[in-house]
Amino acid sequence: MNIKIASVDCVIIYFEEIISKEISQKVKSAYKILKDLNNSAFIEIIPSYNSIFIKYDIFKYDFNSIKLFLKSSLADIKEFENSDSSIINIDVYYDKEVGLDLEIVAKNANLSIDEVIKIHSSTIYDVYAIGFLPGFAYLASIDERIITPRLKTPRKKIPKGSVAIADNQTAVYPKDSPGGWNILGKTTFEFFDKNLDTLSPILIDSKIKFNPISKEEFISQGGVI
Amino acid sequence: MSGFEVISSGIFTLLQDKGRFNFTHLGVTTSGYMDEYSAFFCHKLLENNKDSNLLEIAFSNVILKATASTTIAITGAKCEFFINDIQKSIWQTHRLKKEDIIKVGKLLEGQRVYLGVKNGFNIKKEFDSYSTTIKESLGGLNGQQIKKADFLPFDSFNSILNRRVKNKYVSKYSDELTLRVVLSYQEDSFLKKEKDKFFNSIYEITPDFNRMACKLSGEKILSSRNGIISEGIAFGSIQIPNDGQPIILLKERQTIGGYPKIGSVLNIDCFKLSQMKIGSKIKFEEIDIFSAQEKMKKFYSIFS
Repeated sequence: MNIKIASVDCVIIYFEEIISKEISQKVKSAYKILKDLNNSAFIEIIPSYNSIFIKYDIFKYDFNSIKLFLKSSLADIKEFENSDSSIINIDVYYDKEVGLDLEIVAKNANLSIDEVIKIHSSTIYDVYAIGFLPGFAYLASIDERIITPRLKTPRKKIPKGSVAIADNQTAVYPKDSPGGWNILGKTTFEFFDKNLDTLSPILIDSKIKFNPISKEEFISQGGVI
Repeated sequence: MSGFEVISSGIFTLLQDKGRFNFTHLGVTTSGYMDEYSAFFCHKLLENNKDSNLLEIAFSNVILKATASTTIAITGAKCEFFINDIQKSIWQTHRLKKEDIIKVGKLLEGQRVYLGVKNGFNIKKEFDSYSTTIKESLGGLNGQQIKKADFLPFDSFNSILNRRVKNKYVSKYSDELTLRVVLSYQEDSFLKKEKDKFFNSIYEITPDFNRMACKLSGEKILSSRNGIISEGIAFGSIQIPNDGQPIILLKERQTIGGYPKIGSVLNIDCFKLSQMKIGSKIKFEEIDIFSAQEKMKKFYSIFS
């Protein structure tokens, strides 16, 4: 663990400099400890792949004292267990008519489209970071067999609800947005919902699984092709 | 109902407050006043709560008609300001009565005018903040900038509140600015000669300058790293993308990002930056973290 200056009133805690499930779980454990402190001097806490960013009240801590405080608070990080966090199941209509890149991904992987769908929907994914757009959760890791690089030229508009992959990650676009990920299908599940007090049903410690559904089911859920 | 009828909105007038901090872990930007100095002085003049809201005006020709009496204050960019077609001074309060028409005309020096009303506008917070973020459709009136025919409600106020900011506290704007920087994040991925270049060059503000970020052009800076693992981004952080041209991240920045950062501009200097025009000259000066924190505390103590 390494605590560095992020700005005059922010610090960043780095764990090891790799992306891995183990490091991500350390981040989640540390994040939980920090949240549970309910320390009013913490103004923002942003967990990511291998770091936790904190904006703090400089009238309560200076850089040295926040560093000491964080070190002692996080001296004993236990392996994160989110056994109590249930899996969030997300229905996805996987088909060429919404999954614009299904064919390319399959071709690239030397698999059939059905195999790609089966592989993508049989993994339980962890959240590694949330950002880029509100509610955009970076989920990993996808099965090695379907790893696909980003599009060379990003699309100007990826429709809201698109389920996509890039490198070893997958995500759902919470709204229409430019983007370079490969689209496999579409969901009606809301990743960013102003009707929720929490704004998003997905948190850093959520676990997510995709569930293939038919076109009829997708339409009946309010899906738009 | 008491409030302002918007007769003319200007192109980019936003309801803002100090920002939305409780949802950044979900990718929601903080937004908030670009120039806290002017905004907090506006509230101080009105003896408003610091959590209150006001209008941030970035273009001329804002015309509002009061439907009840109130007291307003106006700070920030030097501008032509009229009440019922009579020119008035800024950085002070003004009493308004029913039917009075106020107008923010040309912006003469600086880029953003702050217009507040006693006790703030009577709107609902959205996710703990009044701040408008258009790209997220959050805050303000329906998550949008102020438009013609909008109504900005306030509680009428009839007492006397007559205050003016002392001249020495009134912001002056020029076309050169030195920004103080604490080394931060990936600073050790920049060789000494790159840091020397960074602190000894003069940069220019490019047209890529908005509430999200300010892109500069000038001497190229090289990091020994191409990209980094995405991480939380502080207000004021200076990203060095692969083209070597620094980008200072401001109030509507993304919450996480993957470019190396050499340092972070002091928040209180970003407020000055937000009043600069395109083409202005920027220099950087290093400051140690403890002196920087003292400067920040001194700044915010004015408003406590």
